[in-house]
Amino acid sequence: MFRKIILTTVFAALAYGFWASPNFKEIAAGVAIFLFGMLALEEGFRAFTGGVLERLLRRTTDKLWKSLSFGVISTTLMQSSSLVSVITISFLSAGLITLTAGIGIIFGANLGTTTGAWLVAGFGLKVNIAAYAMPMLVFGTILIFQKARSTKGFGYILAGLGFLFLGIHYMKEGFEAYRHSLDLTRFAVGGYPGLFLFALIGLVATVVMQSSHATLVLIITALAAQQITYENALALAIGANVGTTITAIIGALGSNVNGRRLAGAHLVFNLVTGLVAIGLIHQLTAAVDATSAWLGIADDDHTLKLAVFHTLFNALGIVLMLPLLKPMVWSLEQCIKPRARTAAQPRYLHTSATELPDTAIEAVRLETLHLYDNASDIIARALGLRLDDILSGKPIDEVVDVPAGTGHFDIDEAYRENVKGLFAGIVEFISRAQADMTPEQHDELFALRAAGRDIVEAIKDTKHLRKNLSRFLVSDDAVIRGEYAGIRRNLATVLRSLDEVRDRGHDSAAILSLDLLKARLKQYDRELGQRLNDLIQQRKVSGPVTISLMNDSGYAYQVTKNLVKMGAILFSTADHGLREAERSISLDESEMAEALGTLPETPTTSSHEPD
Amino acid sequence: MNLTKLANKTRDFLSFAERKRKEKKKFLKHVLKKLKKHEKSLLKELKETSDADRRAGLESEIALVHAQRKKGVARLQELKKPSKSAKKA
Repeated sequence: MFRKIILTTVFAALAYGFWASPNFKEIAAGVAIFLFGMLALEEGFRAFTGGVLERLLRRTTDKLWKSLSFGVISTTLMQSSSLVSVITISFLSAGLITLTAGIGIIFGANLGTTTGAWLVAGFGLKVNIAAYAMPMLVFGTILIFQKARSTKGFGYILAGLGFLFLGIHYMKEGFEAYRHSLDLTRFAVGGYPGLFLFALIGLVATVVMQSSHATLVLIITALAAQQITYENALALAIGANVGTTITAIIGALGSNVNGRRLAGAHLVFNLVTGLVAIGLIHQLTAAVDATSAWLGIADDDHTLKLAVFHTLFNALGIVLMLPLLKPMVWSLEQCIKPRARTAAQPRYLHTSATELPDTAIEAVRLETLHLYDNASDIIARALGLRLDDILSGKPIDEVVDVPAGTGHFDIDEAYRENVKGLFAGIVEFISRAQADMTPEQHDELFALRAAGRDIVEAIKDTKHLRKNLSRFLVSDDAVIRGEYAGIRRNLATVLRSLDEVRDRGHDSAAILSLDLLKARLKQYDRELGQRLNDLIQQRKVSGPVTISLMNDSGYAYQVTKNLVKMGAILFSTADHGLREAERSISLDESEMAEALGTLPETPTTSSHEPD
Repeated sequence: MNLTKLANKTRDFLSFAERKRKEKKKFLKHVLKKLKKHEKSLLKELKETSDADRRAGLESEIALVHAQRKKGVARLQELKKPSKSAKKA
């Protein structure tokens, strides 16, 4: 309701402005075209976020200077600190980068965004910018209609730049026209009240437009037309710098705790920088004068001097805040705590992760691994074992040497509480995240969904197996007891082997070693079948018990088969291309049989002969 | 760089399929390199092992890694084919 009232009021005020002044209409249209250009530019860069940007971002996490440089360079190239902060939050919430690295990027983006002021002041105002805009719009639009994703993206970038130029042109024209009819400098306010008032105006304007770039262009064009004073322009720029954090704050609303901490860091940085800039305004203007003289900027060239000021005060902010980075991270971690969560609640499926296809895929992968953690705990408990023991360094015989069938464990309840809802969340997130994805990325998501289904199937088969397992593990018949103990031991071994592969997810050879595990399981199943035949022939087991054992060995084989299949998809931490390459040379059953002939007996199958 | 080479490079860059093919080749080569190293270390371990069970396990692992490498090399050859035909054209 409140939003509707605000929107109606803004519309009414603008409509009155348009009716009262054609020049205001021109300036407002310029801002609208400029903002539309920003949207097109972001859309264009998103088309290229299918690899290069993500790979770069992953590699800028180890050192602070790299994060800073990434922030500066990417924002300079894309001319949008908003896009950089949204991408950073998205990466952070998917767990791909650390909070410190994220803060480094945001600090860098603050400096990178100041290049916009230089471009507009140094180039946008000095040449007939609209002359460049027209061909850009035409070529850009033609390219947008092309099919190829990269060409389309390039078209959006070109058209976006065209719109930015056109927007600047209209703003410039509007303020120029005002020059002859109205003198806005009459509203100038001097001293500190003026500083705070105009900083507030800059802040509000940026919050409304959600683009400090647009505010800054507006300030520069107004300053060039001498519609605002130099001092007030400086205050507006400070306000715009604080207001720009709104994008990160909005982005963090749909993010996890680290995303919110990053938005907090962004706000603290820009607020502190703004306050320091206001406090040291006289020293800063003196520094701007000295730097401008050194750079050969004329004393009355206030637009370029504003660009110098913008860069200087952001650089000052970085110099001031960098030494405080560690305490800042510490206090953010103390102030913004993660919400208490249960094993059943999703940890990575945040709205911000859907911003980019790669982060969405990574979020789904991590969440499905979380699903696997819950599932493996259920499987272990259903076997009467403890997952911690299975995954410890203890010899496996020692781990499985515990009495079974003791204690109550409701597998259905555990499934409903810790798996079903989580899997439903993953499936729902996948359906939301599919927009703007390439066919390869779609395939990856489907593969991950299939891995989730394998996990669920494994639990269902464990449930069937559990009924007889808990009964026969305490049977008086040593033969039956031994066979069921063997099944349980084999399942525990598979859980441990999978965990070992998972720990080496960065190594393609480890991922491909799952083929060996598959082959061993097949061999184990074959040997168990053979042993069952022998037992029947020797009349060592009764008919009904044989059927139970046959069914249960089938369930156990399905559990392990599904878990290994899931591991091949989930465990690799490599880039998408590398994962694809690993899968392309993984062997199918016939290829494995051809390579191995008859499998030799392995330690897995040889060491649990019936008692 | 002569004009034909430059034209070929530009065409390759602009062609999405060509870029994708080259990327696939690069990743496959990377995986094959890792597997080769792994196979070598397994062979070394086999030489130094006398335990029969362990030897049997290692032999199966080596056989599988070798088959994976063979499959990978065949796949790599397939990926190289279009580039040869493009050059002839």
